[in-house]
Amino acid sequence: MTHTLNRTGLSPERPGQEIVILIMAHHKIKADKGPQMVRAAETVLKYGPDNFIGLPLGLTPEQLIPLAAHTGIVTAVFRDLDTAAALVAELKAQENGVSVVLSGLFDDVRDVCRRVGLTEHTTHVTAGVFGRTELLPEGLTLDITTQCGHALVSRHYVADLVKKIRKGKLTPREGAELLAKPCVCGVVNKTRTAEILDRLARKGAEPPLDPTPAFRDATRKGDA
Amino acid sequence: MRIDPERCRRCLECLPVCPVGAIRLQDKQVFIDQDACVECGVCARVGVCAEEALWREDPLPYPRIIRAAFSDPLHRHESTEVLGRGTEEMKTNDAKNEFTADVIGFSVEIGRPGVGACLSELDKVTRKVMELGGTFADYNPVRALMADGDTGALKPEVLSERVLSAIAEFTTPGERALDTLAALLDFIEAELETVATVSLIVRNQPDGTMPVFHDLAELGKRRGFSPYPNGKINLGLARPS
Repeated sequence: MTHTLNRTGLSPERPGQEIVILIMAHHKIKADKGPQMVRAAETVLKYGPDNFIGLPLGLTPEQLIPLAAHTGIVTAVFRDLDTAAALVAELKAQENGVSVVLSGLFDDVRDVCRRVGLTEHTTHVTAGVFGRTELLPEGLTLDITTQCGHALVSRHYVADLVKKIRKGKLTPREGAELLAKPCVCGVVNKTRTAEILDRLARKGAEPPLDPTPAFRDATRKGDA
Repeated sequence: MRIDPERCRRCLECLPVCPVGAIRLQDKQVFIDQDACVECGVCARVGVCAEEALWREDPLPYPRIIRAAFSDPLHRHESTEVLGRGTEEMKTNDAKNEFTADVIGFSVEIGRPGVGACLSELDKVTRKVMELGGTFADYNPVRALMADGDTGALKPEVLSERVLSAIAEFTTPGERALDTLAALLDFIEAELETVATVSLIVRNQPDGTMPVFHDLAELGKRRGFSPYPNGKINLGLARPS
């Protein structure tokens, strides 16, 4: 899974907006790394992430920590480089022997690496989206939906919540909490999502329309 | 996914949460278009239906179960024992050393972001990858769909199944990586009926730099794309200290 790879909306002009951490035990060593994964999960949660794996399913930190031994994976979202660097420094010192992957602007990750005395080992870089790109929603919607690597955050849900925010039925933060729910990996940056929802709601234009006519027809007023 | 018409109160709250727009209203009844539904399970999981009218057949019959296997991250692939539709790829490269200075990884993810795809589109990609001399990752759910490992052809019975996305993961020798990429992009633009996100996995130099990024940017200038300024970086902490 390419999880956090293809997120749009991050720009070198706005550094330090987002760092997503993933800790994973390679499947051949996972059975022996239970205590190390538990310690890593405890450490990640201690730094107060904006979101973390399982949170959208209702898991508490107390439930997540022991699960890490069995799943061999922890993910979490951080919103500033100082916190990310302090966390990585502590994980480095622990010598857990499990993989740590950071997602974010390459410059931001390089910054974190240099602060803690690490060099990048392997990089996954996206050339872009190709093919029938006319089927994609507009940019700000993509900036939200691409945060879920499994594509579980619906463009229609974004449009629906923007309408509700405009009508005063929801705040952008409440909308972001709802949009984070489908992403079970807990990698939606709720703070960034709330900011984008706010921008979409303030735009004069109608919320982005879906290119699927059947969906638009089905949701017309008075159809129910 | 299915909807219980006896329980449904037609509040329509479930319609927008479907990533592929498969939940619709017709003749004053909410229904799920079974051809469009990718069995991701979001509609039932996020709690928008107070009546719990949404449910999934359990177990799903083959080959429909493939939709869930590729679209629902809580569905564990029997072939990989990994949740989701991909592999560990570069995330554990510091432990397994699959991607080296001489071996570049590719991920071609059809249907992403958020468009979805029929597996007949994946079949086109896997055949093309084999034609280009790529080596498929062993530990990838796509391998389990192949009828012919030499041509990349998928099993005929899976071709009409729809998924949110599927990832063709393969490697090429480093010196052929950019030519392979250019050929793939030509193919995707000409042949695919959906979108595809294309990415590369590169082992960094000992000083952390990644010369391929410069070459990729140059190729992008000629072809009109810009590599993303963000991505994933393995920090190498799994290596024995």
